[in-house]
Amino acid sequence: MNKISTTCPWCGCGCGLYLHVENNSITGVSPSRNHPVNHGTLCVKGWNCHEFVQHPDRLTTPLIKEGAALRRATWEEALAKTAAKLSEIKNTYGPDAIGILGSAKCTNEDNFVLMKFARAVIGTNNIDHCARLCHSSTVGGLAAAFGSGAMTNSIDEIRDARVIFVIGSNTTEQHPMIGMHMLEARDRGAMIIVADPRRTQIAQFSHLHMRHRSGTDVALLNAIMNVIITEGLVDVSFIRQRTENFDDFEKGVLAYSPEVAERITSVPAEDLRKAARLYASEKRSMLFYSMGITQHITGVDNVRSCANLVMLTAHIGQPMTGLNPLRGQNNVQGACDVGALPDVFSGYQKVADPASRKKFEMAWSRPLSAVPGLTLTEMVDAIHEGKIRALYIMGENPVISDPDSAHVRAAFAKLDFLAVQDIFPTDTAEYAHVILPATTFAEKDGTYTNTERRVQKIRKAVQPVGDSRPDYDIICSIARLMGYPMDYRAAHEIMEEIAILTPSYGGILHHRLDAGFGLQWPCFGMDHPGTPYLHRKKFTRGMGAFIPVEFIPPAEPTDDEYPFLLTTGRSYFHYHTGTMCRRTITLEREEPECTVEINPADAKRLEVRRGDPVRVKTRRGSIEVKARVTTVVPEGIIFIPFHFREAAVNLLTINAVDPNAKIPEFKVCAASLEAVRKKPGTRPAPRLSYHEGMKQGLDLYIPPEERPSEE
Amino acid sequence: MNTAYILNKNHLSFWLRTLKSTHELIAPTRDVSGDIVLTELQRMHETALDGPALMPSPKEFLLPQMEQLFCYSEEGIEEALNKRPRVLFGIRPCDLSAIRILDTFYLGKTKDAYYEARRSRTVLIAIACNRPDPTCFCLGLGTGPFLKSGFDLQLTDLGDRFLVETGSETGASLVTAYPHIFTEPKPADGDDLYETRLASQSQFEKRVNLEQVRKHIQAGAVSDAFWESVAVRCFECGGCVYNCPVCTCFNVIDRAASSEAGKRVRLWDTCMFKGFTRTAGGVIPAEAKINRTKRWFHHKLIHWPEQFGAFGCVGCGRCAISCPGTIDMATVALRIKGESKAEEK
Repeated sequence: MNKISTTCPWCGCGCGLYLHVENNSITGVSPSRNHPVNHGTLCVKGWNCHEFVQHPDRLTTPLIKEGAALRRATWEEALAKTAAKLSEIKNTYGPDAIGILGSAKCTNEDNFVLMKFARAVIGTNNIDHCARLCHSSTVGGLAAAFGSGAMTNSIDEIRDARVIFVIGSNTTEQHPMIGMHMLEARDRGAMIIVADPRRTQIAQFSHLHMRHRSGTDVALLNAIMNVIITEGLVDVSFIRQRTENFDDFEKGVLAYSPEVAERITSVPAEDLRKAARLYASEKRSMLFYSMGITQHITGVDNVRSCANLVMLTAHIGQPMTGLNPLRGQNNVQGACDVGALPDVFSGYQKVADPASRKKFEMAWSRPLSAVPGLTLTEMVDAIHEGKIRALYIMGENPVISDPDSAHVRAAFAKLDFLAVQDIFPTDTAEYAHVILPATTFAEKDGTYTNTERRVQKIRKAVQPVGDSRPDYDIICSIARLMGYPMDYRAAHEIMEEIAILTPSYGGILHHRLDAGFGLQWPCFGMDHPGTPYLHRKKFTRGMGAFIPVEFIPPAEPTDDEYPFLLTTGRSYFHYHTGTMCRRTITLEREEPECTVEINPADAKRLEVRRGDPVRVKTRRGSIEVKARVTTVVPEGIIFIPFHFREAAVNLLTINAVDPNAKIPEFKVCAASLEAVRKKPGTRPAPRLSYHEGMKQGLDLYIPPEERPSEE
Repeated sequence: MNTAYILNKNHLSFWLRTLKSTHELIAPTRDVSGDIVLTELQRMHETALDGPALMPSPKEFLLPQMEQLFCYSEEGIEEALNKRPRVLFGIRPCDLSAIRILDTFYLGKTKDAYYEARRSRTVLIAIACNRPDPTCFCLGLGTGPFLKSGFDLQLTDLGDRFLVETGSETGASLVTAYPHIFTEPKPADGDDLYETRLASQSQFEKRVNLEQVRKHIQAGAVSDAFWESVAVRCFECGGCVYNCPVCTCFNVIDRAASSEAGKRVRLWDTCMFKGFTRTAGGVIPAEAKINRTKRWFHHKLIHWPEQFGAFGCVGCGRCAISCPGTIDMATVALRIKGESKAEEK
């Protein structure tokens, strides 16, 4: 038996673990004892991350759509078809008629190569990935305030913090190992403040829990800053020396007294005062946020408010302080870093900036487009308008993950050409003309960048299943067929190119990552040790910028017809669209079906009992789910996780987006809920297993010639 | 029947190399990252015998986390019994004690063929603990830091040499074949052994009396409010059970490649999951976290002694390392003891 050191493929914590391999099959997982994030622990997903790798559902050969069915194809045929169709559409409609989606589940190397493919081979900046749906508001909001949109501090500082302020993050369930550090800090005397409408596990540990109404974060944060200013808790010298535009900002905030905010947020004014005093009066205060802040039409405003708060109290640029966005996916930080975004190359070098464009043009010997491309959410609309004719999707499942699924499905059905590169047949693959089988994290080399900017290696542990190939390898093959020489013999060669072209990754090479547990960017040179916390002495952009922010209500207010505020998120046992976790028996068994959380008072009024089927409806659609009656949600708010394809909550969500970041408002829309009364005696339809359901929807594994004849 | 020999440390690599020629040699090995993991030893000098408790326990070599039992198709089934002879070198006495408890479970009245296939071909070479971890508490349980029997061989580090004790014929055969490197101990070696054992015992930071805790629980002195305070900190990761060298639960699943053929595998399961007690009708008897956490402690402290005459805990301290909520056996046991003392006052 061998043990291969690698990095967990689930969330942004980036825990170190070992895969146990016997005769080319994975027999288990164990945590790394000395890893700075997990210290010998793993969450339930980490402990079970081995199971999906060699699952029988894995895509093993390329598939090509013929008529309504898919048939097996050779790599030569599938690659030739993809290259030919992309070339044809590029020549007929221009390069901007093609959209490319990268993946926060794939490595830095994969995303860099895909980004190069989009920009140098296709010639478009239409490249984006699911960071649009989670932290695009962070990237934009913090770039304006600080000059760099990443978690400022490190995970192993948490245990020494004195105050931990968590807003819009279900930390113990979504970033369990960060939650573990918070709990340890609490045991060592730290105070925990939580702002979240839901009573999450971390809220149960908190000393102060503010249950504000979803979508009122700006009012909440402005009121806290109002108290800090009026009670003289600001750090005057920091504001003078390190920041600008304080006066404008102060005028705006003074309008938000705690009493005004109480009417908007429904948080008692006294609690807002307490939170302000707690947070401002300690020097080692860390602020954490996640999707609860970013997934709003005011996502960028929310992020700016958080930035204002940390600058006001000088909680930045020091250890055990900072503004810490918790990135969701294992490599969403890295996919952004290497430029799988429409407006920047790797290292956030703008495509519109002539100097950086020239550098990349010289490196890639192709003229590059200066116009920022379309975002993921804009691409869907562009397909409806006929502007985008082809889409290349690497490891994403937008049909389940994007808001207003019906709109997305209709768009994908319109495409002239859709190529999907994935490890499992997904709902998105239903619309594909070509499906290309890729390898999982256990079958390739590469790097992931976790939420604290730590670039870490993943290592090949077993041979790829079937004919599947590493993502970068597939893209290189298509590039070559399209006439662009792209030859990398191994992932570390791609990393070399990233290091050459990206200042913040300048000293990050595979051989340096092999010893110890990776490097935290910015790491400018071969002797640079990496950076545990950002903005020391000076912000990346020079001075920190205060940006005045006004409260704007959510896009869709509740009304008599749709009286509930529907908010979405994740469950502890599942991950995103469920393609991996729902094939993991232990995880699927914990939560086999979709439920809606509803407060007991609401449930009583609607005569809904625990486990009853209910219909949740919005202006976009409706789904039937089972009720989970719980005080986790307050009255008037219902919560549904988005993992379940058979009850996809994104059929309900609104595609209203933030004007700057184009992030959709997953966290708030208006919904109605009613009990579904089954006639007595009618039996519910037998629930198909995920496996069966998948096969019924998608005849992927039975090519027409092998199908049993229906006689 | 124990016979003692002396092995000069300079001769260890030679001996390991000869073991490797006939067995798959599993030993604690230093990884590039600095972790010490139990894995197949490739280069003899990489073995690291002075590290902390290994994660997970050596249980995985007898009961892998995911194990293929057989392949099935229309033609029938094809069993996959592991028949490789294996040496587990350098495991701790607590882990060895745990394997003996696993033996009573898996090789008792009903024998588990897959476990037996691995176990009967496994040679256990333990190394006595000279440096217990801060999390260790085997001392009060008689499961370590050194054993009198149960091993094939037990090594004790005496500085520049090992004292090697034989505990079985298999073990003895691995020693007597090399009389030129295994020599007879001198009286001074006995003195050093005694001193080493004494020094080891004095290094334990935790003293946990599980017998006392068992009595407290049985006397009804531990309230549900206490268990609630434990359960609220549970992250439901299953790490305590996965890492426990004594926990035995597994789940059996079929992985169908098609409607005709597939594989049957078993994988570790834990009572910390609510799905563990899910019934066909959808009812989950142990749905609340308190019922699951409480049960785990009750099982280990009350039901195991009733059934097998030993605690379901050997004091290896791994749950303390792997629990994100620090509700491990030692912490909870010490809290129970502390609270009952407070009540007495």
